[in-house]
Amino acid sequence: MAKYLLKRFFLMLPTLFGVALVTFVLIRVIPGDVVELRYSGDRGAVSQEVIDQERHRIGLDQPVWRQFFTWLAGIVRLDFGTSMWTGAPILQEIKLRFALSLQVAIMATIVAVVLAIPLGVLAALKHLFLLIVFKWLPPMVYTPFWVSPRQNLAQLIWPALAVGYRYSAVATRMTRSAMLEVLREDYIRTARAKGLVQNLILSRHALKNAMLPVLTVVAIEFAFLIGGLVVTEQVFNLNGIGLLFVQAVAHRDYTLLQALVMLVAGMFILVNFLMDAAYAWLDPRIRYR
Amino acid sequence: MPALAVARFERRLCRRNPVLGGGRKERAVRRATTVGRGAKPPAECDEVPLRGATLRGVVGTLLEVRNLQTHFATRGGVVRAVDGVSWDVREGETVALVGESGCGKSVSALSIMRLVAAPAGRIVGGQILFKGRDLLRLGEEEMRRVRGREIGMVFQEPMTSLNPVLNIGRQLTEGLEIHLKLSPADARRRAEELLAMVGISDPGRRLRQYPHQFSGGMRQRMMIAMALACNPSLVLADEPTTALDVTIQAQILELMKDLSRRLGVAMLIITHNLGVVARYADRVNVMYAGRIVERATAREVYGRPRHPYTLGLLRSVPRLDEPRRARLTPIEGQPPDLTRLPPGCAFAPRCAFCVERCTREAPPLAEVDAGGHVSACWEAARLERVGEPVR
Ligand SMILES: Nc1ncnc2c1ncn2[C@@H]1O[C@H](COP(=O)(O)OP(=O)(O)OP(=O)(O)O)[C@@H](O)[C@H]1O
Ligand code: SF4
Ligand SMILES: [Mg+2]
Repeated sequence: MAKYLLKRFFLMLPTLFGVALVTFVLIRVIPGDVVELRYSGDRGAVSQEVIDQERHRIGLDQPVWRQFFTWLAGIVRLDFGTSMWTGAPILQEIKLRFALSLQVAIMATIVAVVLAIPLGVLAALKHLFLLIVFKWLPPMVYTPFWVSPRQNLAQLIWPALAVGYRYSAVATRMTRSAMLEVLREDYIRTARAKGLVQNLILSRHALKNAMLPVLTVVAIEFAFLIGGLVVTEQVFNLNGIGLLFVQAVAHRDYTLLQALVMLVAGMFILVNFLMDAAYAWLDPRIRYR
Repeated sequence: MPALAVARFERRLCRRNPVLGGGRKERAVRRATTVGRGAKPPAECDEVPLRGATLRGVVGTLLEVRNLQTHFATRGGVVRAVDGVSWDVREGETVALVGESGCGKSVSALSIMRLVAAPAGRIVGGQILFKGRDLLRLGEEEMRRVRGREIGMVFQEPMTSLNPVLNIGRQLTEGLEIHLKLSPADARRRAEELLAMVGISDPGRRLRQYPHQFSGGMRQRMMIAMALACNPSLVLADEPTTALDVTIQAQILELMKDLSRRLGVAMLIITHNLGVVARYADRVNVMYAGRIVERATAREVYGRPRHPYTLGLLRSVPRLDEPRRARLTPIEGQPPDLTRLPPGCAFAPRCAFCVERCTREAPPLAEVDAGGHVSACWEAARLERVGEPVR
């Protein structure tokens, strides 16, 4: 088990490197750079000399491979540099927004799972289709959880419910179909032939097997949520990762954008790793390979 | 206490039948020769049907299936998987249910457990009397207490019939905890005994393992341990060895036979192999297209079959007592579509003995010989003259 997880863990590193390389190159394919965009407002008023100077200051005049390795060297030391647009340290830019997005993602996942698993099981048993309508109220300004948990929850519960509801629909369907499949398995018949009570058959024999595919869906959705919810953040007036993403693209803020992509990719890879660990925990066939 | 329960069974058996229960030594010898029995001479086979004969007068009927009908509603029509079938199992006896694939053997066994796949499958008629009670009239909760507690079941597919994510210990102890109300520690101890009983060494370690760490034969041993866990009086074994290779098959069958004798458990062995039947069963029911076509002691069926289908089955399996016989003749043709059974004898299209009457009228199951030998064939008398089934 430990060996398996260790192997999985080290497989994350080349993936991250690949992501870094692809991101770095792709971002630079978008026409225009941050300096051009900043001075395009006062067209002609800024001399080429100033522009060149500015490019030199933030290192855009260096060969691309050199920029890449400088950046990579920074990442390894967890130094993402400063934003090309605002000049603020990137970690600081991301920190609070990430906390917000992460919290919404976690809460939405909890909402989804809490709704989806019982509903999915029920739907499988009763062959039901379910429809639920949620209402929400717009939140106020973001207050970090550690400042005021009550106020924080009061705001974020709404976007979490809104997102979690949609998300739960996917997870419910998955639970339902996984459950229906598992209930047809031979070992369920064996369990029934042993004279176990129905609830035990469901909770001990069926659910654990049915959770494997559901887990995949939940984990991937979760990773998506962390990447920011551009529309949801707009609707609820939240200053999250999604908004930051939009801004970074608009400004061609290479450093910020790179950091964000790395963050999201990192979360995907991490979630994948955790999923592998959970699979191993649920399924002994993986654990004892 | 679990060991006591086993002892209790053995004692009960001794009281009932001193010939069987006695002789610890004899049992030990039998066990010691277990593995090598695959190639034993046919003379020794005789002891099996004889036992049935000895028991007959002494013990009562444990399970009596009367006119059981189980149908499946499918798009193609109603599949009459079990179509008015009657048979019984006496206490401590081993009865075989034999027939080609798709003739309704599994559905028969599942009907007794009331585990036929709903909603398509439904028991539409008949009675299943177990210890005098009609299982079809029990409430779901009462039925649950019969499953695993009074009737154990061994399934055909050891690979898929165990839950892959639960360890062996969990799957073995849960029945004990539920039915016998054993504490987890007691259940664990009993589980170790059970594994040892079915010939799995190092049971303590094995209990912590998972099904995928067991070989096919070991899984089937584990299934047998599971079926016997709560000292049931009947075990339904649905093709317990079909998925295993030949040497393991013999071991598993010997194990089951040995345990059923030691514990006094009655067994229903479902198989499509008449060779298995001859050696392990007391009586045989031959099934064709959802009906019983012949029933007799294993010896009778093997030596003097009175139904053309049985004859066909016998010719399609190698016989241990005739090693020189090289040619095996499978029964020609296909079993009939169970949604559209012909009006007369269902076997008529494939039958070499078929006469005009056969296609018109369905033959009833009638006594053809004293001693309970019955056959559903208009031409049963002609078959007697065929005598030796292997021409
Ligand atoms: N769930 C089901 N739905 C529809 N028909 C079914 C179902 N289960 C069984 N049947 C039908 O019932 C008939 C008897 O099936 P059964 O499984 O009892 O055969 P069997 O004698 O056990 O054969 P095998 O040797 O292949 O196990 C088959 O013709 C099959 O098509
Ligand atoms: S009744 Fe006729 S068709 Fe049917 S088995 Fe007997 S001889 Fe053959
Ligand atoms: Mg079958």
